Amino acid sequence: MAIVTPARSVNPRLGAYFGIFLSGFFAIALLALILDGLGVDGGLLSLAMLLGPLLLYLGIGASTATTDPLDFFAAGRRVPAFFNGLILAMAAFGATGLVTFTGLLFMIGFDALFIAIGALAGFVIMAVMLAPFLRKFGAFTVPSYLGRRFDSRPLRIVTGVLVAVPMVMVLGAEIKLATEAAVLLSGWSHAQVLALFFLVLLVTLLPGGMRSMTWTSVAQGLAALVAVIIPVAIVASIITTLPLPQLTHGPVLRAVGRSEAVQGLPIILPPLLAFDLPEPGLQPIMKRFSDPFGAIGSGAFTLSMLSMLAGVAAAPWLLPRLAAAPGVYEARKTLGWATFLFGVAVMTASSVAVFMRDYLLDLIARSGPAVVPPWLAELAKQGFASINETGTQFTVSSINIARDGVLYSLPIAAGLPHMLLDLTLAGVVAGGLVAASAAATALGHVFSEDLALGGTWEPPHGATRLHLGRAGIWLAVGLGILGAAFSSADPLRLVLWALALAGSTLFPVLVLSIWWKRMNGFGALAGVLTGFTVTTFGILSGLGQGAALDSTMAAVLGLPAAAVAAIAVTLATPAPGRHVLEFVRDIRVPGGEILYDREMRTQRLKKQRQLA
Amino acid sequence: MIERRERKPYWRHTKWQMMASLLPFMAVIIILPLYADRLNSNKFLGFPLGYFLAAHGIILIAVVTVAIFVRQQDAIDHWHGAHEDN
Repeated sequence: MAIVTPARSVNPRLGAYFGIFLSGFFAIALLALILDGLGVDGGLLSLAMLLGPLLLYLGIGASTATTDPLDFFAAGRRVPAFFNGLILAMAAFGATGLVTFTGLLFMIGFDALFIAIGALAGFVIMAVMLAPFLRKFGAFTVPSYLGRRFDSRPLRIVTGVLVAVPMVMVLGAEIKLATEAAVLLSGWSHAQVLALFFLVLLVTLLPGGMRSMTWTSVAQGLAALVAVIIPVAIVASIITTLPLPQLTHGPVLRAVGRSEAVQGLPIILPPLLAFDLPEPGLQPIMKRFSDPFGAIGSGAFTLSMLSMLAGVAAAPWLLPRLAAAPGVYEARKTLGWATFLFGVAVMTASSVAVFMRDYLLDLIARSGPAVVPPWLAELAKQGFASINETGTQFTVSSINIARDGVLYSLPIAAGLPHMLLDLTLAGVVAGGLVAASAAATALGHVFSEDLALGGTWEPPHGATRLHLGRAGIWLAVGLGILGAAFSSADPLRLVLWALALAGSTLFPVLVLSIWWKRMNGFGALAGVLTGFTVTTFGILSGLGQGAALDSTMAAVLGLPAAAVAAIAVTLATPAPGRHVLEFVRDIRVPGGEILYDREMRTQRLKKQRQLA
Repeated sequence: MIERRERKPYWRHTKWQMMASLLPFMAVIIILPLYADRLNSNKFLGFPLGYFLAAHGIILIAVVTVAIFVRQQDAIDHWHGAHEDN
């Protein structure tokens, strides 16, 4: 039987559209700069820097409405690899990466790299072990894939409930960071900004579900990347004369290393499993930048890196992106672009951290009486820094820097025009929105497809399915806003917990479901439940005082437990039937019809035959 | 469309490719950071070498690993006739 799937044509004008978007974005920024020079009120311009790009996103969201379920749940399966990879990279990096990872690098230098290496390795593992097969399968959500793959409705519903937890955590963390940036831009209260983001997310996601999310997120991802790179590039051309900060901050880093040695920053040798993650608040720098393992022990570094790897590779808010790729080959290429763009973001964050450390250490190394320079006074006024004592001379411990303010401190420390700080803040808002929209659509689709319609494999035709999908996204966005409003947890920890939970719940089961034919539904259910339970327990016990394993490393327990449970229960229960085995064989071959579509069609035919 | 008897060789080939892509990569990302301290006394582009390899080097290795995998796996798909129709 040869069924030719209609070739999904990619819109050839995408590049032009996003070129127009970027020009619009720059026009707003440059206009702000010009008007600033003409003496227009700075607050008004900051507000324009927040609302202008938001209006552009709203326009894209509203113009991508759809009534086709394939468009609504998988962006029509025609998103080219570059755009797909851009969304994947920025949804994984998000505002958490822009703000907290930069701050973490500034505070603990080398040790923060476990996040970058883990996430990059996660993309590589996803490309090789999961992406091609999940794309061939073509399910819209991860629980749908597992449920259909093992022909088990309980598995689908249980997974749907469990993966909702990490997704709400990510949503909350991303919206929270975006809100803080927007509050700095607009001067409004948190509640007003949260209400604004609620509206923005609804307008950019409800009209076309995954389709709207895809095209608004491409715009937001481009904006985030560009808005964060430009200020650093300007700082780089001031300090190193080359506007390529990612590759030229080496000599600056060396100067930083020399200053650190002169200042006598201690070389710390922590225990193997030490995991001393800096809190978001104000604190002095702790360790030398390029010396490894001062705050985080070498064992903890490797283990938390592997836990990041599993979390990113199996993240239920990232994997649905693959269903939007036009084919298996494009799905693999998507991961190539995602790895590259994530790498650019990491290198940019690292250059921001190094330049900021350079400004700080320059000030400390200056001999003579301690004079607070204007930029430090400005940082202290904004709450990004505080000065402990102004004795005869600054020391390392006399200046505290806020971890989550490092990214914003750089344009101030370099004395750049105020507009560049606004641009950075707008970039963080955009980054937060990419990650939040990815999590909100994925979670909304889980709510509507796997929980509301989870008992049946025949989703209702036409408008009902889309209405349910919109209700799901509405609920997901609402939960995220509530999470951002009421959680007091550190956003970085929230995301690390979410990755630990997602990784140990899904990673072993997803990998085994493709690479081990014998795996059956009971084993998958056992793996999912064990992974989630053990990791939850690990997080809760890690929060206690003096725990051996930090709460963010709970996946170290959860991952092996889930794998052992999945394998043991599979071996103890009967082997899967012929239909399921045939299914696995089909998943492994890129060519042929998309399996999810084929299954949906056969289910419908069966129903019609029964009725006749 | 792939022929039935091609399925087993195709999957064996794919498994080897998976190992060839992942084992060296995993070895590098696990072992390299542990030796960064010793490499830091050398310089490259002005960076301490250990930090440079752990930050920039691993990004490069990851991108190259995925790029080679995409090429190789596509060749494997075509060799066994397992590629997509369009």
